[in-house]
Amino acid sequence: MAHSIKEETGQDAFENLRLELRRGCLVLAVLASLGEEQYGYTLRKILTSHGIAIDEGTLYPLLRRLESQGLLTSRWREEEKRNKRFYQLSAEGKLVLKQLLSEWQGIHSSLDGILKEAHCGTD
Amino acid sequence: MELIDRYLQAVKFWLPKGQQEDIAAELLEDIQSQIEEKESALGRNLTEDEIAQALKQRGRPLLVASRYSPQGQQYVVGPLLFPAYRFVLKVVALCYVMPWLLVWAGFILFNPPFRSHHSIRYDLLSVGGPFWNTIFIVFGTVTAVFAVLERMQSRTNFLENWDPRKLRPVVDPRRISRLSSVIEIGVNLTFIVWFTSGLWMRFISEVSGARIVLTGQWKVFFWVLLVIASGNIILSGTNLLRPYWTVVRAGLRLLADAADAWVFCWFFKAHLLAAISSPHLSPAQAAALRDLINTNLEKAFPFAVLACVLVVALVNVGRFIRLRSNGARPLQRWRRAW
Repeated sequence: MAHSIKEETGQDAFENLRLELRRGCLVLAVLASLGEEQYGYTLRKILTSHGIAIDEGTLYPLLRRLESQGLLTSRWREEEKRNKRFYQLSAEGKLVLKQLLSEWQGIHSSLDGILKEAHCGTD
Repeated sequence: MELIDRYLQAVKFWLPKGQQEDIAAELLEDIQSQIEEKESALGRNLTEDEIAQALKQRGRPLLVASRYSPQGQQYVVGPLLFPAYRFVLKVVALCYVMPWLLVWAGFILFNPPFRSHHSIRYDLLSVGGPFWNTIFIVFGTVTAVFAVLERMQSRTNFLENWDPRKLRPVVDPRRISRLSSVIEIGVNLTFIVWFTSGLWMRFISEVSGARIVLTGQWKVFFWVLLVIASGNIILSGTNLLRPYWTVVRAGLRLLADAADAWVFCWFFKAHLLAAISSPHLSPAQAAALRDLINTNLEKAFPFAVLACVLVVALVNVGRFIRLRSNGARPLQRWRRAW
């Protein structure tokens, strides 16, 4: 009983940390995918095809938030006889994406170093 | 399609007015794209059950709408202010709700007229009773104040403006303030001087023409108080020279405080007043007045005990807890490391 509660807590902790880790990465993935104009549904397809599954309840509010921060622009346009809202990186968004990617690469290489060192230490 | 319209209507209900149409249109487009894709994969139209299943997967309308709320404004009291909110609630519970309960318990236990008009069922358990009213009002007020602070913080970021130099100095829980030791010595000395010069073995006092006679117990009362006050001076003098609490001295302080409290409570029950006489009172009136004073003092005895136990416990238990805690040690180690 105690063991299963502990296991469940560990699973909850993992899930929370996983979501936390994904949150920042999702922003980066969305910005990086919007160099070209996309509407929500196709953007979701693109992300999923690259292994980043994102549900609509997360994606659309995120797109709006990024737009309100001036990183995206959007416009309604008719395509295939339906009105769709297309999103694209703004000039400011391009600049921020560049900075974020540089930050991401910095974190990645630092983490890589830490993990290699930790791996050597445990061997 | 009616199901989709109903879903969108429910989502719109929870959205901010200005964004309702825009968000609903985008959601509609997404749902239509999803359905189209499934239909083309299946080679037929989706049934109502399948559409219902697809909508269910998207989540409750309230949940979907909540994700569009501006970040940082979804809390009554947000994570930044929550530790302070929890602290204030604890202080309010300890300093207001607990005393309220203890005073109420005191009245219920020792005051028959109060007991006849009050009951545990109504006073404590009934939602409309005084206890829950007190809880709702006090905790509601604290929550409302913090909700306002939360709004102010999200607009002005006033918590960002702070200066490390204005933080309060590090407090050593074992340190005894020299000022408080000096004040204690002064107060006890003044008391002894006043007590020995003005009330030395005085059983009979004249006050504005009235004559007050005390019983022989006054002598015991007098000597006990004198011994306690002298002990307090010795303890405070030691504290002045060695201003750090030790378990022994904290124990002695507890004993002295308990003795003070005991004498104070005894005063209420001892019927020290033997007689009162005054030119304005007949002997019968004077005797009635004496009895009235003695009886009322005795009636107040349980409350005096309650108050003394509370004060002595709060002051001394807190001191022992601080003494046992290692709060200052990591900081000292850190300083040494530097």
